[in-house]
Amino acid sequence: MTIDLLSQSQATGGRRLTLRTICLHALMILLSFVAVFPIYWMIVSSLKAENDIFSTTLWPAYPSLENYAYVFAKMPILRIIANTTIVSVTTAALQVLTGLLAAYALVRWRMRLAGFVNGLIALSWLVPFQVTMIPNYVFASRLGLLDSLGGLIIPNAVAAFAVLLLYHSMRSFPTEVLEAGRMDGAGHWRILWEIVAPNMRAPIASLAILAFISAWNEYFWPLLLSRKIENSVVQIGLQMFMTQEGNLWGPLMAAATLASLPILLIYLVLQRQVIESFMKSGIR
Amino acid sequence: MTDIQADLTQPMSIAIRPAPSRQRGAGIAPWLYLAPALILLFMWTYVPLVEAFKLSFYQWNMLPTAPQRFVGLDNYRRIFALSEMRTALWNTLFYIIGLFPMSVIIPLFVAILTQDLQGRLRMLYRTLIFVPMIVPPVVAAILWRWLLSDDHGLVNNLLALAGLGTVGFLTDPHCALATLTWITGWKLIGFSTLLFSAANAGIDRSYVEAARIDGASRWQIVRDIRLPLLSPTIMLLSMMTILFGAQWSFAYISVLTNGGPLKSTTNIFYVLWEYGFETLSAGWSAAAGMITFASFAVIAFCCLRLMKRYAVYDN
Repeated sequence: MTIDLLSQSQATGGRRLTLRTICLHALMILLSFVAVFPIYWMIVSSLKAENDIFSTTLWPAYPSLENYAYVFAKMPILRIIANTTIVSVTTAALQVLTGLLAAYALVRWRMRLAGFVNGLIALSWLVPFQVTMIPNYVFASRLGLLDSLGGLIIPNAVAAFAVLLLYHSMRSFPTEVLEAGRMDGAGHWRILWEIVAPNMRAPIASLAILAFISAWNEYFWPLLLSRKIENSVVQIGLQMFMTQEGNLWGPLMAAATLASLPILLIYLVLQRQVIESFMKSGIR
Repeated sequence: MTDIQADLTQPMSIAIRPAPSRQRGAGIAPWLYLAPALILLFMWTYVPLVEAFKLSFYQWNMLPTAPQRFVGLDNYRRIFALSEMRTALWNTLFYIIGLFPMSVIIPLFVAILTQDLQGRLRMLYRTLIFVPMIVPPVVAAILWRWLLSDDHGLVNNLLALAGLGTVGFLTDPHCALATLTWITGWKLIGFSTLLFSAANAGIDRSYVEAARIDGASRWQIVRDIRLPLLSPTIMLLSMMTILFGAQWSFAYISVLTNGGPLKSTTNIFYVLWEYGFETLSAGWSAAAGMITFASFAVIAFCCLRLMKRYAVYDN
């Protein structure tokens, strides 16, 4: 072990002592522990039977699925997860679509109002949702969007962030390729979908991941719109379940585990891409 | 420079720069491509913003049939007189300042200290500390409620074992605000650490080598090379914390405390929601919203000026 650490620190070009490396690992292990332990505890608690729930053992003496059975009986959890999936996938797809169209227009044409349009899109980011919520709520109810999945999707179908992210990656797209496409007589629509979009797979994938995760974790707008539990998304469904079941910790932990399971699985599978897309959103 | 910064700082200058291949006088085509985005932005952001401004001069109880009564500046006067508002503003400040250690300071230290870690373990750490960022906020709220529960929560059990007695993390007015700030920050540590690590790894090694040859100590390298070159990231994350920190805590307030106990955890965004949808005073909510929007816009403007002036870029 010591040799291992030594050779590793030599490889990185430093003259670090092993003690230093050990401290660094200790620090990272501590941070990872703080990050992951609460989630581990949630999953473990969900597997503990009713008489075992208050024990502080790190693994249940007799793991049981009774909490899960309780949740499935008391709460339309699968329906809610399906709703959330529909909302998140559609929102992400629409944000990519509207973002691509707007970014293409801003990159391709020189418009006198381009600066204004750009500013308008960027500024919309600064408007806190709580400031516009009352008019939005009234408008949504007039359109009959209360308690519907459409109501959760439509206002989020465009995001300033999506337009700006795609705009930036599209600006570095080689103009020669576009010119060549135009020489061949391709219209703008075809250039966008057959030349530009396929070459922007990486930024589109990042954006889709980010948009999916943030739609899955959206809380405020569903809180305003949702009425019935079977038409709601995981965030609201969980909150309703918590209010009803109070301190039934086992079932609560099981419901919370089920609600976060899809997104945790996606993270496990796509972990590198997820981290990268978050990092790219902050840093070029 | 980051994408976000670039756009917030200079949306105008970017777009005006001429590009030879772009067509002029394209007529209506560009507007067709922009239409979906712009129409949605107007429908759900700008028109509502104007309507909220109008509403801030009216009294209205949110019922579709009830009339809206013009009251001029009364809503604004009321709001400033409410003691609740003062509590909310102080708490908003507390949330923002309380988040700094977790969203900027600790992650910065961790990134600098761990720059030498390599290989698989580094990826494993990254993966693990990022997990809270992915977990839905309501799940985070519920699992912390269980961990910190007054009776039989793991943390209180351990405190009792250590002979320290139990703490009402969410029920004691002196603790609740700090608890909610911690939960908000818990979700952020991983994100900030990653951003700092990436920025740190992006620093040209030759600067560090050159300084080392000149006999600079570890600390001097950090102070004179790393910190200045990390300043854009430091400022970006500080700005995000200031502008969005209080908003990030909304879900936890709503799920865990409803602003209590004794209004100790409420903040400005929660008050806006309460006025609008609990006490049904749309005018008050709109007036408070306008003040909030104006203040945060001013803060954002100042942040951007500071960022432009003080951030160091490696060009």
